[in-house]
Amino acid sequence: MSLHPLTALTAACCAAVVTTAAGSWPLSVAVALAAALLAARAGVAARVLTAAGVILGPLFLSLLVLHGLFFPEGHTVLAQWGPARITAEGLDFALELGSRTAASVLLLLLFSFTVSVPDLVTALAARRVPPQFSFVLASTLTLVPAMAGRLEKIRRAQEARGLVVERGLLSRLAAARLQAVPLVLGLVEDAGARAQALDARGFGTPGPRTSYRQLQDPPAQRILRAAALLLAAAAVVLRLVTAWPAAVPA
Amino acid sequence: MSAAAARIDSFSFHGDAGAALRNVQLSVRPGTLTAVLGGSGSGKTTLGKLLAGWLRAGHSGVLHGSLALGAEVLEFRGGSGDPRINPAAWSGRVGYVPQDAGAILSSVRSTVAEELAFGLENRGVARPEMIRQVARIAEQTGLSALLDRDPAQLSGGELRRLAVACAVIVEPQVLVLDEPLASLDAEGAGELRALVDGLLDAGTAVVLLSQAADALARNAGHWIILDGGTAVAEGPPADVEKGAVLRDAGVLAEGPDTGTPVRLPTAAAVAPGSVVPGSVAPAAAVPVLELRGIGFGYAAAKTPTGRPAKGPAGSLPASDLLRGVDLTVLPGEIVAITGTNGTGKSTLLRHFNGLLRPQAGEVLVEGRSIAGIRTGRIAASVGLLFQQPRDQLFERTVLREVGFGLRRLAGSPEAAAGRAQEALAAVGLSDAAQAHPAELASSRQRLLALATVLARRPAVIALDEPTVGLDRHGIERLQHATAAAAARGAGVVLVTHDLAYARTNAHRVLALDGGSLREL
Repeated sequence: MSLHPLTALTAACCAAVVTTAAGSWPLSVAVALAAALLAARAGVAARVLTAAGVILGPLFLSLLVLHGLFFPEGHTVLAQWGPARITAEGLDFALELGSRTAASVLLLLLFSFTVSVPDLVTALAARRVPPQFSFVLASTLTLVPAMAGRLEKIRRAQEARGLVVERGLLSRLAAARLQAVPLVLGLVEDAGARAQALDARGFGTPGPRTSYRQLQDPPAQRILRAAALLLAAAAVVLRLVTAWPAAVPA
Repeated sequence: MSAAAARIDSFSFHGDAGAALRNVQLSVRPGTLTAVLGGSGSGKTTLGKLLAGWLRAGHSGVLHGSLALGAEVLEFRGGSGDPRINPAAWSGRVGYVPQDAGAILSSVRSTVAEELAFGLENRGVARPEMIRQVARIAEQTGLSALLDRDPAQLSGGELRRLAVACAVIVEPQVLVLDEPLASLDAEGAGELRALVDGLLDAGTAVVLLSQAADALARNAGHWIILDGGTAVAEGPPADVEKGAVLRDAGVLAEGPDTGTPVRLPTAAAVAPGSVVPGSVAPAAAVPVLELRGIGFGYAAAKTPTGRPAKGPAGSLPASDLLRGVDLTVLPGEIVAITGTNGTGKSTLLRHFNGLLRPQAGEVLVEGRSIAGIRTGRIAASVGLLFQQPRDQLFERTVLREVGFGLRRLAGSPEAAAGRAQEALAAVGLSDAAQAHPAELASSRQRLLALATVLARRPAVIALDEPTVGLDRHGIERLQHATAAAAARGAGVVLVTHDLAYARTNAHRVLALDGGSLREL
């Protein structure tokens, strides 16, 4: 049985909310691992992990510097250089925050790399989401692969003109500039033509629209979505209730 | 009564000083074919888009004139009181298929059937009716067997028919086709002609925009010749053809007289060590390019993990595109390779400079194997012109574009500048040296990309469909440039679906068929 895109979206979002609300790093790590495992099963592990690395790498680094070295509430000092001190509490906090974010990012990337974009657009259209919104969403989800394909073509065409990209950073930056020019010009030109075509095909027309594609939305998945939403809400409430006394200043 | 009529006194794009169109009139009756012919940059596309509401007066530019659909006439005076065209409503009456057929697709639909239904969905057509309409139009356009395919995976001819189907599914009275036969092979062109005949029989008025007086244009009852944005002649084809106006406007003639035959230099006459013009190839001449038993296939099947399947080393996958291809190109020789769409012509060209590496066999350039050498280095000896010239261009001016990387090759800045100027002159772009490459018309972009290859004076020049999008003037530049390169001693390999061009302009014509080359 395949997942309705809204079921997948709900599951990913609710899992992220529950993980965030729970605030326990072993759970966060477990969820992140589970997401990575599911990505591997779906055959998108490499893409999900690469994208996650790009997003999370800088974040982890800043967390380590901010909280690992300069955590004001920390008192179990492990090492110290001048004002910078590594405290157990700071590391704990960085780990907590880092694993939580990693879990959420991996879940959402897993969703966006596995969802069938046409199914998602159909599902949104059936729920009267403005078509412009779902078009932008769908274009965004397909833009990265489309750009990657285009860059590859440009790189080949330029190499055929004798462009040699050396290993050095400067050479790579120069090559990136040369590739960016045709890429951006091409995208802008395409966008103009696409807008004219969409207009002509009645895309901007107000009024009701229909859908050719039909999606199966079995009752079991509806129940699953409701349950997931309830669970997420309960997790948030529970979190608020347990954190309440501590959060209110004495 | 006419199905549609246009009187363009003038139309200029916002921000442009000059008018893109002046004094053009067009009137089409139901069930007739009208051809608007002209060279590149003559204003054909602008006229077609104005007629179809893709360019709108006030929105895209200033229009003086009138547009009429049936009994309804819209007058434009270039002011704010002008009527406004609703593109969605207008396209229900005038359909337009752009030259780049893919541009009409929504790009967010996953099957041909859904893409066809897109225009109906937006108009709120009920689903059962939509299913009937999709089946009907698929039958009419020969897409019935492709309804479940991904539009991104279609061949050029299939994509063109899908684009036509997307435009006619809402049953417009008028259909504008912009260069519908460009880059289609004989089979694809035949299918498209049959489709147009069917539309004409059904009473649709068809307007053809083309820079070639091809078989489709010859079916037209009325021709309008555009040159420099204005109509220079019109009337029945037989009358218009009598004068020199077609040739002057840069319109290509169809058939064996494609372009003007140029005197081909004798192959290998200018090989190193041989200076006698007209002599036969000396046995000792080193081939500039040699392919020995090239085998290659794209991994068609994907493994469940999404990674392409790899066969064991040395064995070819079952879906191999090239099988034991042998080819020897001597200095000064022009070889044309033809074949239908999708036979692997472009794939073969990409082996010349290492963009693709053979799974079997080897490639030798000037007698040396290119295995393990990077493409950017091989490029000193092999120049490759791609189908999409825009992807190759990246500099600020045309002159800088041609001059890119030349200093290293030419030795001195003066020599490099000389070569750049010479290459620009060869393709007729000397007057545009300071223009921005992106501002050139697409045909001139193709010539510029050709100039960047010529300026490097490679031993092997490989051209991928170089004639596509060129008008008569452009074709003549191309012919002379390739002949001159061959006379200098370069080996030229050109891939084209245009057999007539190949026969006129190459020493040898080969066909790529079933994965290997045979002489034609």
